[in-house]
Amino acid sequence: MEERTTEVVFKKETVGKLLSLFFKDEKTKVSGDAVILMAEMLKIFVEEAARRSQKQAAAEDCDVVDIEHFEKILPQLLLDF
Amino acid sequence: MDEDFSLHQRLKAALHFTVGRLCEDIGGDGGKRFNKEVLAAIAETTYRQCGLFHSHLRHAKRTTVNSEDVKLVARRSTALYNHITRRSEELASTNQEQKERRKKNTGKRKSEDEETSVKRNKM
Repeated sequence: MEERTTEVVFKKETVGKLLSLFFKDEKTKVSGDAVILMAEMLKIFVEEAARRSQKQAAAEDCDVVDIEHFEKILPQLLLDF
Repeated sequence: MDEDFSLHQRLKAALHFTVGRLCEDIGGDGGKRFNKEVLAAIAETTYRQCGLFHSHLRHAKRTTVNSEDVKLVARRSTALYNHITRRSEELASTNQEQKERRKKNTGKRKSEDEETSVKRNKM
């Protein structure tokens, strides 16, 4: 299997646009560093969601991770973030 | 109104794409792949989480949100907070290095220009 040589990240542009969209009615801007940190937070969030769901699937002896596994770990995930 | 809607949709799609790639890697790592439904659910949840982060960041009372504000969002989890703080420090030191490099380069150029003009005058 091919190994990815570059790290998967949320593009700075995407995160920046997302945040500005949420901030649309306020005159708030987000600094460049803050966008990078936010992208990091989102990446960690996704990784946690994915790995916890995977563990849940493993605990239930399933080969594929499906929505039920995700739903079970979701409450704690939201509390932890 | 419609413009906002399609921008949201495009950003959601971009998010979904990256979520897909991240989960593909993790799927390979842990030996269990994710089905389409789960990917969509994770992407949607991440989108909402963005909204939640935004609501935390709003309390920044300044017009520009900076790294300190983002660190506060991470404070619920100690491990996460430490990680984000470290990352923030890395960024700050990289910025500082870049600034110093730029200063050096402008300094060099100035002294080179002076040298050239001195040489010319001598000739």
